Amino acid sequence: MLEQLARLGRIGIGSLEQLGRGHLLLLYMLAGISELFTRPRLLLNQLFSVGVLSVLIVAISGTFVGMVLGLQGYYILSQFGAEQTLGVMVAASLVRELGPVVTALLFAGRAGSALTAEIGLMKATEQLSGLEMMAVNPVKRILTPRFLAGFVAMPLLAAMFSALGVLGGYFVGVGLLGVDDGAFWSQMQTKIDLYDDVLNGVIKSLVFGFVCTWIALFQGYGSAPTSEGVSRATTRTVVHSSFAVLGLDFILTALMFGE
Amino acid sequence: MTQNRTMEILVGAFMAVGFLALFFLSMQVSNLSSSNGGEGYQVLARFDNIGSLKVRSPVTMAGVRIGRVSDIAFDRKTFEAVVTLRIDSGYEQSIPDDTFAKIFTAGLLGEQYIGLDAGGSSTFLTEGGQITLTQSALVLEEIIGQFLFSKAEEGTKIE
Amino acid sequence: MIDDEPLVTIRNLRFFRGDRVIFDGVDIDIPRGKVTAIMGPSGTGKTTLLKLIGGQLRPAAGTIQVDGERVDRLGTRDLYRLRMRMGMLFQSGALLTDIPVFENVAYPIREHTGLPESLIRKLVLLKLEAVGLRGARDLMPHELSGGMARRVALARAIALDPMMIMYDEPFTGQDPISMGVLVKLIRALNDASRLTSIVVSHDVREAAQIADYIYIISNGKVIEHGAPDAMMSSSSEWTAQFMNGLADGPVPFHFPAPGLEQDLMGES
Repeated sequence: MLEQLARLGRIGIGSLEQLGRGHLLLLYMLAGISELFTRPRLLLNQLFSVGVLSVLIVAISGTFVGMVLGLQGYYILSQFGAEQTLGVMVAASLVRELGPVVTALLFAGRAGSALTAEIGLMKATEQLSGLEMMAVNPVKRILTPRFLAGFVAMPLLAAMFSALGVLGGYFVGVGLLGVDDGAFWSQMQTKIDLYDDVLNGVIKSLVFGFVCTWIALFQGYGSAPTSEGVSRATTRTVVHSSFAVLGLDFILTALMFGE
Repeated sequence: MTQNRTMEILVGAFMAVGFLALFFLSMQVSNLSSSNGGEGYQVLARFDNIGSLKVRSPVTMAGVRIGRVSDIAFDRKTFEAVVTLRIDSGYEQSIPDDTFAKIFTAGLLGEQYIGLDAGGSSTFLTEGGQITLTQSALVLEEIIGQFLFSKAEEGTKIE
Repeated sequence: MIDDEPLVTIRNLRFFRGDRVIFDGVDIDIPRGKVTAIMGPSGTGKTTLLKLIGGQLRPAAGTIQVDGERVDRLGTRDLYRLRMRMGMLFQSGALLTDIPVFENVAYPIREHTGLPESLIRKLVLLKLEAVGLRGARDLMPHELSGGMARRVALARAIALDPMMIMYDEPFTGQDPISMGVLVKLIRALNDASRLTSIVVSHDVREAAQIADYIYIISNGKVIEHGAPDAMMSSSSEWTAQFMNGLADGPVPFHFPAPGLEQDLMGES
């Protein structure tokens, strides 16, 4: 009984410590941002590996999610004779929820795990230590550009996901199922609001980009310098990021769309 | 060097496509293209009952959307709803002062909007003008109530 | 600069990792311009010692002075300034794996100086020439053998012309030829540019070959120190066992266990 209690206490203290370390790392990373402006090439390289390399998976998923939404939405809406609102349904669900959330989940799996593995391996092969001994701050030089790249890339990826999703829904709804072209767009434009929907979606994906990259870098930086440690850290990145994204999505949705 | 250049181009393309997607979402998907903020002019209309009319509901004339509801207030003296309509720029000199404003419902369960029927006057409403001829929203419960009432009356007559 | 004053002075150093005592009152002096070897069995925290000197770890007690500065007390900025004058060769080489050899050597120069590209190129080629790998400048680190990677790392470590270089197990896992190359390089670099070298190693023969002075550490204490010849013929049984690689001696071959007979006969 007492042993159980002690274990609970250990877990609590341990997670608090982790949280503290995470925030310290965040502070150090943010402190390096100003220096990054003198070396834009570092950011460019990271935008490539975090952003460009994630485009394919995001684009394909977005298109198919949109097509499925078009198909499912049509069958449900046609029962009420409201096929014209298909555009609204597809666009609203993509822009508000699926775009930011699914992109963030894909991002955690594709870019986040890669970041963790990269940083973890750099640590295991003493590259970070080596940088430190060369009087180069590894947090500023290695972590900060990756962090900023994730933060910048996520909203752009989410926008691509949503845009392609809408086009996918349009293709299925209008192209295959015969929803009226004009009604599809006009209903969408009437109901989807720039600030309430699009901007809030962008804010969501900014938050997710921030959190996912942060988690990935923290796990990589704190991983045990062994192959097992790196593989565990990579798994933790995906799990923690997914939980964080889904949990934060609920909170953000409640804050944004709750009246 | 060529590798660097390829990377630069790809990152540039990535940013461009990303912003294009954002642009698409704001122009084509949402209503940025059709709402023009502070432009245009405002007119007032008083209704006995506005049903479920909302701020941002469309204002149409002959079926064409020419503006939006920008404000809804309640007048405590007359017990009326005071609705402010923002008419988009480009529609100046197009609402005669004897225009009839009605609240319609799009479809059976759709959202409500204001339809304007132009009158025959040659003077037009300008900023702050007021539409005096209005018809309230049809509230489903009231209609059903009236229908039942009239049915009941019919019933008593037959007996 | 006072020449006979040691470059690194360590006094009464204590360091713990969790509950394990790594160093328990260690005193070490590293003379200027010499090669000093720090030896000891695996797991005695030799790498930890280098990290303490480089300021990557902080001691629990004691002082570490490098060129007159208290490493254990320096703030980040001063520490980084001091590290620019230190080079360290990691066991794995620790090359950045995503950039080619040339860029790896150029990295510290680019980071810390605003030199023009043409000058950087010359400097890097000179450093690579010094380790005999000028021809390998366009290779990626994964294309190098272990010995070559260490030589590139050495070129990187001397890129900023430091006052001292720390070598972490430079001979481990090397074939005899690259081992010979490294031994020659370390000695040559030290003599050519009046560097101070600290070599952490448990390869007795190679270390003794290049070192001017040897410290032997075990169980968190300095067991013995002196010139290589003196150490080889040390009267201490322990030192004799370590230096000559005998299987049994004061450090027993057997891990502490009950008697064999008793263990075999006894029921669990």
